[in-house]
Amino acid sequence: MITVHNISKHFGTVQALQSVDFTAADGRITGLLGPNGAGKSTTLRIISTVLKPDSGSVLVDHSDVLTDSLGARMQLGVLPHASGLYPRLTAIENIRYYGELNGLEGADLSSRIDELVTLLEMQEFAKRPAKGFSQGQRIKVALARVLVHRPRNVVLDEPTNGLDVMATRALRAIIRRIRDAGHCVLFSSHVMQEIAALCDDIIIIAHGRIMARGTPDEIRQQTGENDLEEAFVKVVGEAGVTP
Amino acid sequence: MMRKLWIVFRKEVVDNLRDRRTLLTVLVFGPLFGPLLYLGLMNVIINKQLADMDQPLKLPVQGARYAPNLVDYLKQHNTDIQPAPANPEQAVKDGSADVVLVIPKDYATAFIAGKPAVVQLVMDQSKDSAQKNINRTRDLLQGYSQEIAALRLLARGVDPSAGAPLAIETVDISTPQSRAVLILGFVPYFFLFAAIIGAFYLAIDVTAGERERGSLEPLLTTSVARSTLICGKLAAVTLFSAVSLGLDVVALAWSQGLIPATKLNIVVDFGWHTALAAFLLTVPFCLLIAALLTVVASFTRSYKEAQTWLSFIFILPMIPVFSLIMFPAEPSLWMMWVPALSQDVLVTTVIKGAALNYAFVAVSVITTLTLGLLLAWLAAWLYSREKVLG
Repeated sequence: MITVHNISKHFGTVQALQSVDFTAADGRITGLLGPNGAGKSTTLRIISTVLKPDSGSVLVDHSDVLTDSLGARMQLGVLPHASGLYPRLTAIENIRYYGELNGLEGADLSSRIDELVTLLEMQEFAKRPAKGFSQGQRIKVALARVLVHRPRNVVLDEPTNGLDVMATRALRAIIRRIRDAGHCVLFSSHVMQEIAALCDDIIIIAHGRIMARGTPDEIRQQTGENDLEEAFVKVVGEAGVTP
Repeated sequence: MMRKLWIVFRKEVVDNLRDRRTLLTVLVFGPLFGPLLYLGLMNVIINKQLADMDQPLKLPVQGARYAPNLVDYLKQHNTDIQPAPANPEQAVKDGSADVVLVIPKDYATAFIAGKPAVVQLVMDQSKDSAQKNINRTRDLLQGYSQEIAALRLLARGVDPSAGAPLAIETVDISTPQSRAVLILGFVPYFFLFAAIIGAFYLAIDVTAGERERGSLEPLLTTSVARSTLICGKLAAVTLFSAVSLGLDVVALAWSQGLIPATKLNIVVDFGWHTALAAFLLTVPFCLLIAALLTVVASFTRSYKEAQTWLSFIFILPMIPVFSLIMFPAEPSLWMMWVPALSQDVLVTTVIKGAALNYAFVAVSVITTLTLGLLLAWLAAWLYSREKVLG
């Protein structure tokens, strides 16, 4: 479970986040939806301890990201927006490195890697250097890297970027499986359909503030719009700053 | 923490061992540049030296027919008599001859009369490269003169040794030795160069390269402290630097065998003991340079930018090395406080076969390592900032 409590963050004169407050529960997929520049990545980066909030706090399970960032990261699997692989290492070596960094070793690590190779259907390229991988193959390896230490909480920043339809569908299936295993999945996107197709809970964010939250149904109710996209436009538009 | 550090270290080593450019620089270019340059220069000098000794002196002579005996004497003493140019002064001026011997028409008259017979040497005293031939010619003429003098004294019933109160023997050791010392002055720089180039690509790859690939942010989300990450990376960079240095030292020691040292008595003593000492004296510099390159590369936005900035660092150790070549000074304590300079001075001492001052060694090692650790700490601090993601 990820509990974000009232976080604010500024870069220079830009207020990137203002009192953002939400919870992403275990066994549910929580979607962070917002236009480009809304503050999605900043929120996720604060959760993943890469950035520090100016104020407020974040709990990952029971670890505070500020006071126990290592403990928080232990419970986290993070797929940042830029998730580069090491081109000279094979897919398996890329995954193994992260497994070892997160404390796995020996037979446990090897069997976990085999599991992920099968789960993500990577058999074909698992032993090839990552240099020539397609975008879909790269995402799979990056995702395996996120999951290798069986994190209780998974944070994915626009994971479907650059994927074709088939790869996107496969990814959705995987994300659902992670949820069904009881994990907390927090995932960001600027694509409405993406969120609608996958999420149990939706948080709409714009201009660094949370504009609406709830299940898809609740959001439709709150806005009085039947179509989620219309609801999104209405909510984001209400901020009054949309150019 | 030590285990995580080892994991990061091992990954960087394996990863970079697969990079052909890094490998070429660390294993081939870095270690061989110095020794090859050294071998090349040494061979040029030795061959020139040997050639100068064995080859007949080419001497244009004007009016050779006025002094057949003198000319015969010269020929017997390894001189190749050549027809004189029409204008000797012009020939010397434009460099087609180093020295021209001019024998005037009245040479024979004076000689027979027992008066000093005038011969002229046309030469340019200011031309360094001609000095050897000028001296050889002058020595030969001097020799002939003394021989005739001895004969004349004998003819008058006087012991010839009365006319030679001094017997001067020259033992020339200057030229080859001094040139060797000049090259010797570069040897410590070769080592520093190898240490820098060994660390160069790795330092960029683990910092700016990692950021450019987009692999830095996910790495920062693993449950490893940032300071551990940077220490592992630094350890890998230091290792590559030390390997390059080690190979360079070995290559230089080995290349000693290729120099025909027996042909000449200059020799820079660079055996395996010296090699080991030189390596141990220089290896603290590897940590320092690895940390320095890493810190500088951490400030840059991209691989390319890092390359540009890091290139400047090659110049840094040149400054003390070249100042020492231009203004030779005895080793003193203050030099030990300056990294690169201290390694230069100590390695030079070892190569010259002089005794090491162990207090100096201690100061050099401690200063260099301390500075290296400070820079490592700075690198760790740079990585603890949010800005590290660029």
